[in-house]
Amino acid sequence: MAPVRTALLAAAAVAFAPGPAEPPVPTPAPAEPTSPPAGIVLPVAGAAYDDDASLPAHAEDVVDYTLRASLDPAAHTIHGEGTITWRNTSTEPVREVWLHLYMNAFKNERSAFFRERVGGRGSAAPEDWGWIDVHRFVVRAPDTVAVDEWPNAERTRPGDDDETDARVPFPRVVAPGETVEFDVSFDEKLPIVVERTGYRGTFHMMGQWFPKIARLERDGRWAHFPFHHLAEFYADYGTYDVTLDVPQGYSIGATGPVVERRFADGRMIERHVQGDIHDFAWTAWDQWMAARETIDGVDVTLLYPRGFSRVAARDMAALRFALPYESSRYGRYPYKVLTVVHPQEDAQEAGGMEYPTLITSAGPWLTPPGALVPEIVTVHELGHQWFYGLVGTNELAWPFLDEGLNQAAEVDAMGKWKGAGSAVDLFGLRLSDAAINAVGSSPRASDEPVAQAADAFTTGGNYGALVYSRTASLVETLRRVYGDDAVGRALGRYARRYRFQHPGPDELLAIVSEVLGERVAATMRRALFEEGWVDYVVEGATAHEAQRAAGIFDIAGKRDRVTPGAREGGGWDNGVLVRRRGTLSFPVDVQMTMADGTTRLERWDGEGTSKRFAWHDAVALESVSVDPDERVLLESTRLNNHAAVMGGERFAWRVLERAAYDVELLLQAVGP
Amino acid sequence: MNDVAPAADLGLLTNDAMRARRHPRAVVALWAWESVLALVASTPVAMLVGATWGTDPEGDGALWRPGALALADLYVRQRPAIEALEGSLLAVLAIDAVLGLVPLGALLVVFCRGARDGRVVGPVRAIGEGLRRFPAMLVLLVVSVVAQAVVLGVGLAAGSIVEAWVHTALGEARAQQVQGLVLLLFAAAVAAVGVVHDLSRAAVVRFEVGGWRATTLGVRAFRHAPWALSWSWAWRAIAGLAPVVAAAAVTGRFGGRAGVALVVVFGLHQAVVLARVALRASWLARALRAVDASLSRAF
Repeated sequence: MAPVRTALLAAAAVAFAPGPAEPPVPTPAPAEPTSPPAGIVLPVAGAAYDDDASLPAHAEDVVDYTLRASLDPAAHTIHGEGTITWRNTSTEPVREVWLHLYMNAFKNERSAFFRERVGGRGSAAPEDWGWIDVHRFVVRAPDTVAVDEWPNAERTRPGDDDETDARVPFPRVVAPGETVEFDVSFDEKLPIVVERTGYRGTFHMMGQWFPKIARLERDGRWAHFPFHHLAEFYADYGTYDVTLDVPQGYSIGATGPVVERRFADGRMIERHVQGDIHDFAWTAWDQWMAARETIDGVDVTLLYPRGFSRVAARDMAALRFALPYESSRYGRYPYKVLTVVHPQEDAQEAGGMEYPTLITSAGPWLTPPGALVPEIVTVHELGHQWFYGLVGTNELAWPFLDEGLNQAAEVDAMGKWKGAGSAVDLFGLRLSDAAINAVGSSPRASDEPVAQAADAFTTGGNYGALVYSRTASLVETLRRVYGDDAVGRALGRYARRYRFQHPGPDELLAIVSEVLGERVAATMRRALFEEGWVDYVVEGATAHEAQRAAGIFDIAGKRDRVTPGAREGGGWDNGVLVRRRGTLSFPVDVQMTMADGTTRLERWDGEGTSKRFAWHDAVALESVSVDPDERVLLESTRLNNHAAVMGGERFAWRVLERAAYDVELLLQAVGP
Repeated sequence: MNDVAPAADLGLLTNDAMRARRHPRAVVALWAWESVLALVASTPVAMLVGATWGTDPEGDGALWRPGALALADLYVRQRPAIEALEGSLLAVLAIDAVLGLVPLGALLVVFCRGARDGRVVGPVRAIGEGLRRFPAMLVLLVVSVVAQAVVLGVGLAAGSIVEAWVHTALGEARAQQVQGLVLLLFAAAVAAVGVVHDLSRAAVVRFEVGGWRATTLGVRAFRHAPWALSWSWAWRAIAGLAPVVAAAAVTGRFGGRAGVALVVVFGLHQAVVLARVALRASWLARALRAVDASLSRAF
């Protein structure tokens, strides 16, 4: 990154002494709407962002890392050193830098990560601990003597033993636009693979492995935070120039392309350089097998263990579909390379994770062809190249913006690719990814908001169900109700407009409003921020033989007496009452099935809490179904989406037949 | 346990006459027993689905919609009811495992014995004879289940040890394949215990002996011709899978949602079940002939 010389004069005018510690930036309060400050109107993205011509070539270069890391695979340690060049892109002068030392999450059970055991990945204490020790953090600012500030660093907070979030004071204030350099040296010990990183035997996966600068927001607040159990990460864009040094015989997979490889003294040294990214991860193992292919102009390298060739081929097939598909939907993938790492099951904690230009997949070598685990994981992690990588949202503050939107992208892509059996296609059962997400999240919809900080979720189960599945079901519902084109355009416009930027929920909702209208944006906000829910219910279905009104009528001077129950010349009076419960509303279809097998379809705009349909017909109504095409995946349950007129209930003969047959086979298997 | 007193009015058939195909009614009766049990276990499932989806225009067909959203929703929302149904299914399986010994004993009696006047043993008499052999059969069941559990446990442990031993050298996939081979060997041993179990059951009926004595006789019969008997059991077991696979393929294409199609699928499925019952009966008759041939001289 070229230093910003224009800031020097301004910097010289500012005091040199390090200031007091700034309070940590609190994570956003749960369920607090993110309306822009008064007077600020979010920019309209416009149709210009509907195609790739609008895409920026590069990110704003904020922080560049030039690191050299040497792995000792026997001791599972890394020695690293190098230079970090950082620019103050905020509007405020800053007196300190916050440094994330996330490997210390695995140092002991007093870390925030282990204190917050809320279930899910990484809940068990590792069999072997990991940590990072910084030895040197020299701050080089223009016109200032270089000083090792590490001895002055505040590594923990009072009453909190977590060592993953360190504050390092500057020897002087750094003005807006000014650039400083940090010389850094560190040693780290990897844990047994836990929460995406660590070793297992000679397998090594390095994520969140280097001292990493937190992101400085435009208003001068540091968005720094410890390694939380459920949270992921947030950082500025820049260029990573990383030289990796491993024993000869090991293969490396890493972020960015290899620009140099050499061998010396029994070691292999590989240099990877990649711009426009905000993280760097790598793996080294002496047992990697590799498959290479160019997909949509991207050089894909797939690393997999021996004996995993079939499942690796499935990963590659998923990329062949998903890479061009996601590029067309959310903007062209801008990098030359993509590395996919498929770990063994004994290192599965490293699987299913995303880094810029590097993703990890998952699935045992013997995954049945109809269980689409490798495909789903690969498509999901690939999608993160957009929703996390290219749109760099704050994963702690708004996890639904990366995991949720990406889950929606996964459901969409898997559905387009595999159809109804997009999750399971076994023994005649075709279970969709969309169905799994819908039923997995609806029982928890009222527990807590989707749009809240990751560390605010009460359990890992709720985090997964709401952040991932509820968001995906919301987007899928919009797609099914308002059309694939419109929703695809909204998400595509959002992803293109905010490529290499750090948008929040308001930016997303503004674009949804722009493309789909204010009603849809309001529904989306309610679903995300206010635990919005909906349940359509068929309250009743009736069919009565048409009867004349009883009583005495004077017609044309003649008095006519109509007795109760007199027929009206044939025909039926049919009636249906449909209710909408909950705080969300969507237009739905109501399908009436008549006694002669014909159907009648009515559209209800979903406004109001109920809708009554009544009509006279030659044929009697038999049964009614609301949302028969299963568009509203946010529904609490579908068990009340139908009703029949009296006597119209059907016995489940097909279920009886299939169940009896299955039980008979079972009896033969375990009986005498 | 004391030996079972011989039924004086029932004579022993010749070895060659101990054939399942000579007693189709008995085979059908065993199929009927299984069908009734299956109906008992399945009717509550159908009633649950009828109560939840019976008013949908598609009825229970909704559960087969592409994507299986309705099925998944039912599974999640009716979880307590489904757990209760799973419990009742387990109860039916347990009842069959124990009470099923009576029709099994009856079947074996029909296969190997006949009235002195040459008539086939009638159903009531056969059930009575089955009841008479129930205690011995129960002992055999316990012995066999314990033996199979021990073999399986040792196999699982051995498989894990071998997998851990070769994991680093061979990699996870190959190591698990080796583990699978080890498990396969022990699965074969479990199957062999099952074969001995059936031979012992045959011995209970053929020689009118108690459970412990029958176990000894079953082992002796197996040792007399282990490969021939194992193959005799195995080909029938493998042949029994073929109609299941074929029916699954046909049903998958045919659908069988309702009406005539559903009746056809029902007929197909029951033909499969009956064919498997016949294969099982054929093997039991073979077991009778085996113990008769190898052990007659000992008595």
